Amino acid sequence: MELTTLLQQLINGLSIGSVYAIFALGYTLIFSILGIINFAHGAVFTLGAYFTYALTGARFGFNGIFAEAQLPFGLPFLLALFVGAGLAGLVGVLVERALFRPLRARGADPLLTLVSSLGIAVALVNTIQYFVGAEVYSFPSSVLQGLPPSVNFGTPEAPLVVRTVQLVIGVISLVILVVLTWFINRTKTGRALRAVAEDSTTSSLLGINTDRLILLTFFISGFVGGIAGTLVGLSVTITGPYFGIAFGLKGLAVIVLGGLGNIPGAVLGGIVIGIAENLLPSSAVAYKDAIAFAILFVVLLIRPQGLLGRTQVQKV
Amino acid sequence: MDQFIATYGFLMINMLLQAVLALSLYLPLMAGQLSLAAPGFFAIGGYVAAVLSTQKFLAVPGTSYGEPLNAFTLWLAGIFPFTPPGAAYPIGLVLVEMGIGGLLCGILAVVIGLPALRLRGIYLALATIAFVEILRVLALNLPITGGAIGIFGIPQPFPQDATKFSYAIITVPFLALAAWFVYRLERSRVGRAFIALREDELAATAMGIDPTYHKVLAFVMGAVLAGMCGALSAHVLNTWNARQGTFDASILILAYVIIGGSRVWLGPIVGGLFLTALPEVLRQVAGIDGLPVWLSSFLSDGRLIIYGLLIAFGVLFFPQGVVTPERLERKAKSPSPRAAEEAVT
Repeated sequence: MELTTLLQQLINGLSIGSVYAIFALGYTLIFSILGIINFAHGAVFTLGAYFTYALTGARFGFNGIFAEAQLPFGLPFLLALFVGAGLAGLVGVLVERALFRPLRARGADPLLTLVSSLGIAVALVNTIQYFVGAEVYSFPSSVLQGLPPSVNFGTPEAPLVVRTVQLVIGVISLVILVVLTWFINRTKTGRALRAVAEDSTTSSLLGINTDRLILLTFFISGFVGGIAGTLVGLSVTITGPYFGIAFGLKGLAVIVLGGLGNIPGAVLGGIVIGIAENLLPSSAVAYKDAIAFAILFVVLLIRPQGLLGRTQVQKV
Repeated sequence: MDQFIATYGFLMINMLLQAVLALSLYLPLMAGQLSLAAPGFFAIGGYVAAVLSTQKFLAVPGTSYGEPLNAFTLWLAGIFPFTPPGAAYPIGLVLVEMGIGGLLCGILAVVIGLPALRLRGIYLALATIAFVEILRVLALNLPITGGAIGIFGIPQPFPQDATKFSYAIITVPFLALAAWFVYRLERSRVGRAFIALREDELAATAMGIDPTYHKVLAFVMGAVLAGMCGALSAHVLNTWNARQGTFDASILILAYVIIGGSRVWLGPIVGGLFLTALPEVLRQVAGIDGLPVWLSSFLSDGRLIIYGLLIAFGVLFFPQGVVTPERLERKAKSPSPRAAEEAVT
C-alpha cells in the first residue's frame, strides 16, 4: 500500500472509529452502572438518525403512516443533529422508566434484562418501519452548506484526498468524546456517576440519588447513540429501520475489545476497529463486516477482560 | 380441511421446526450457558443439505428425479426405501443429509465450545453472536454457498402437486423425538448434572460434576439438533441463503425459550409453536369485520411491534416463562418437590 493511501485510510479509519467510540460509550456507560448490555441501543441509534433527518425538513417516502410527510420547517444540520440526539436520549430515558427500572425493582436476572432490551429493540425498529416505511434515506448534500465535497491534504502531485463528510463526522465525534470525558472526570455529577458505577448501594447511602443518575446515564447513552446514528447516516445513508441493529452488534465488539464497562477502553476499541476495517486490502473488502466480529471472538477467547479491563476474580 | 392445509400447511411445518430450534437453544441453557449460536448451526445444516442435494447426491441439479450420482448414494437412498411415488427426491437422502449436517455441526461445536465455554453469561452470548455474524459474512462471500443469491431449487421429496404439509411426516416425528430426548435427558444423570451446573456451578463442581465436559456436551447437543433442523428446513424452504441464520433469528429463538419457559422441556416447544403462529394470528384478528381501520391496520402492519413489546414486557411478568416445572407438576397433581424445597428455605 502506498504511503498516501495508507494515510488516507488511516484518516478514514480514525473518523469512523471515533463514531464507533461515541456509540460504544453509550453501551459502556450503562454497563458500568447497571452491569447489563442494553440491546435497545442500536435501535436508539437508528431513531437518532431518523429524528435528525426529519428535523432538517427532509421529506419521507411513500410508505408507512407518515408517507410524504415533511416538517413545515427545516433546522440547520448541526442544530437538527443535537435536537435529534436529544429526542433519542429521551427515548432512552423512556426505555429505562418503562422497562429497566421495573426489572431492577424485581431483582431480575441480567439475562432477562438482556432479552427484554432485545424485545424493545425489535419494537422500536418496527415502529420506525410502521411510521416511515423501509426506504433508504440519504441526507441531502445541501446539509453541509457550501463545504467542498473533499479536501486535499497533500500536494497536487501527491494528492491525499479525504471526503469532507469524513472530516465532519470525525471532528464532531472527537468534540463529543472530549466533552464527555471532561464531564465524567471533572464535574461533580460525573464523579457521582463513577461512584454509582463503583458501588450503587454505598453511593446511595452517601446521599447520591442513584435513580436520577441512572436516568441521566440513559439520556447520555441515547444522546451519543443518536449522534452516532446521524453521523453514520450522513456518511453513508440511512439504510432502513434495521440499520442500527448491525451497527449495534459492531458496538459490542468495540466495548469488549476495550473492556466491558471501561470508558477509555471503549474509545480505544472504537478507533482500533475503525482503523482495522479501513486497512483491509481491497481484495478482502467483502469481509469488512466480519472484522469486528473476528476481533470480538478472538478477544473473548484470549483476553475476555479486554485491552484496558481489569481481571475480575470470581467470588463465591 | 384441504383448504386449511393448503393455506396454513407451511405455517404449521414452520411452527414445528421453530419448536425444534427452541429446544436446541434450551439444551445449552439447561447447563446454564446462554448460547445464541443456534442460528449459526441451523444455517450450516441448511447449507450442507443444499449443497449435497443439488450438487452431490443427484447428477442433474434440481431437476425432477435426476439419477443418483454413484453407487454409494444409491445405497444410501436404498436404506430408507419409503420414497413417495412421483417424488423428485428420496426421503432417505433427506434423513442422511440431516445426519451429516448434525454430525458436522457437532464436530464444529466441540472445536468452538472447548475454548468458548470458559466464558460465562453475557460473554458467551457475545462470543456466539460473533460466531453467527462471521458465518453470515462467510456465507455471503464463499463460492460454495452461492454468495448473496444462495442455493435454490433444492429438490423436494414429495410429488410436485403436494403441499408443504407433506413434510409433516418428517417434521412431526422429528419434533417428537427431540422432545422425548430432552424430556428423558432431564431425568437422566447427565441432565441432572446440567441442571446442577445451571443452579450453582461452584456447588455442582464440588459435588464432582465436571463442568467443562457437561457444558461442552450440552452445547454440542444443541448444535446437532440445530444442524439437523437446518438440513430439513433447507428442503422445506426449497432455497437457502445468508438470510437464514442471522442475529434476528437468534433473538426470535431466544424469545421462544424465555417466553415459553426456560426451565422445563415443554417451555421452549410451547414458545416456538405459539410465537411462530402469533404474527399470522394477529393478521387474522386484523381481518375481523367491524374493527376500526386504525386498529386493524396496526394489527396487520404493526404485528412485529406487538411481538417486540410482548418479549420486552413478557419477561417482566413471566420471568420464568409461561410453562414452569411447578405449573407442570401441579397439573400432574403431585406435590411439587421444588415448592417444598422453597418452603423450607
